[in-house]
Amino acid sequence: MSATKGEHKHNFEGAIFGGLPSLVVAAHELKAPLALVRQLSLTLEDGDISVDEQKHMLRQISLTSERALRLTSDLTRSVRLPEALFTLEPINPQQLCEDIIRDLTPLFSAHDRQVKLTSRRRSLLLVGNRDLLRRIIMNFSDNALNYAEGDARVEIKIDTRNSGQVIRLGVRDYGPAVSKDIFKSLRSKLLVSSTTTIHARPQSSGLGLYIVGQFATAMNGNIGVTRHRDGATFYVDLLASNQLSLL
Amino acid sequence: MNKKSVLIVEDDKWLAEQYARVLKSAGYEPTISLHALAAIEVVDDVHPDAIILDVLLAGSTAFALIHELQTYEDTGKIPIILCTHLAGELSLENLKPYGVRRIIDKSVMVPDDLVLAVKSVLL
Repeated sequence: MSATKGEHKHNFEGAIFGGLPSLVVAAHELKAPLALVRQLSLTLEDGDISVDEQKHMLRQISLTSERALRLTSDLTRSVRLPEALFTLEPINPQQLCEDIIRDLTPLFSAHDRQVKLTSRRRSLLLVGNRDLLRRIIMNFSDNALNYAEGDARVEIKIDTRNSGQVIRLGVRDYGPAVSKDIFKSLRSKLLVSSTTTIHARPQSSGLGLYIVGQFATAMNGNIGVTRHRDGATFYVDLLASNQLSLL
Repeated sequence: MNKKSVLIVEDDKWLAEQYARVLKSAGYEPTISLHALAAIEVVDDVHPDAIILDVLLAGSTAFALIHELQTYEDTGKIPIILCTHLAGELSLENLKPYGVRRIIDKSVMVPDDLVLAVKSVLL
């Protein structure tokens, strides 16, 4: 075959999801984990499987169910966001990310992948809501887990912007390069917080990103994406807390 | 007799492994590609007898792969089985000219459906 391999583009998924109500999109998004759980369960029912493999499949079922539940829980939280009371407080992002990594490690290990934290500074504080911020990073990490290639690691990065006034939490994946067209589409979707398809991850309706975009806005922050030669970084920018400077 | 090889193009790794498990126990030799770009490389190496293809893939869609396969005489003849949640949105008649021989609805399929579909396209 020629060097034009994989150059073609198709907007089929856009035609499928474009403009559909979010309920339909949510239903589609949940199909993937449910279908996997169903296939694994049917195979287990069949019975002709070694004990080790049974354990392996049961583990996959529980981890996949947890991911599906996370999405439904995020969805519920998102719908109730306007009426919800939540506090914005100073949060140590390093500590939060360490907790998240601890929780995500079983899922990543089951996929033979690693999730790591890279941070240049330990003593940072941002203004946010712990629950919402946690959901954002978990969502980015789930997304990265799907997209990372082979045994590539996923990195959660903490960085500062605007002379330390903004703190950026990013999740970097190492997957297939995102084409320029896809990137433009993705960026515009993130900017308008739309529920329409995000072409960089066609298997995803973009619902997750739409939801976390709402979470970020509720914390006076915003989400974005940076394209790399070998993957992408999804990030959330939040205001730094001035508390440390008062000490 | 040589086992028939089946290329599974599915970006959900665990689902791909599940398909491979089912096909292996039915006597086929499955190979997994997690996205379309990798699949194009694998087609050259493995020369699969059939391809099981998800539609919404990471990176580029199944249709990018189908277009690419159709560009070459040898790869254009490989029967394709679409295994997707979008089965209800697709028409087999419309896709037949592109090598698609079966469409399986992921949401309602049972593991044996995969084996039956592969058997039928390899007749």
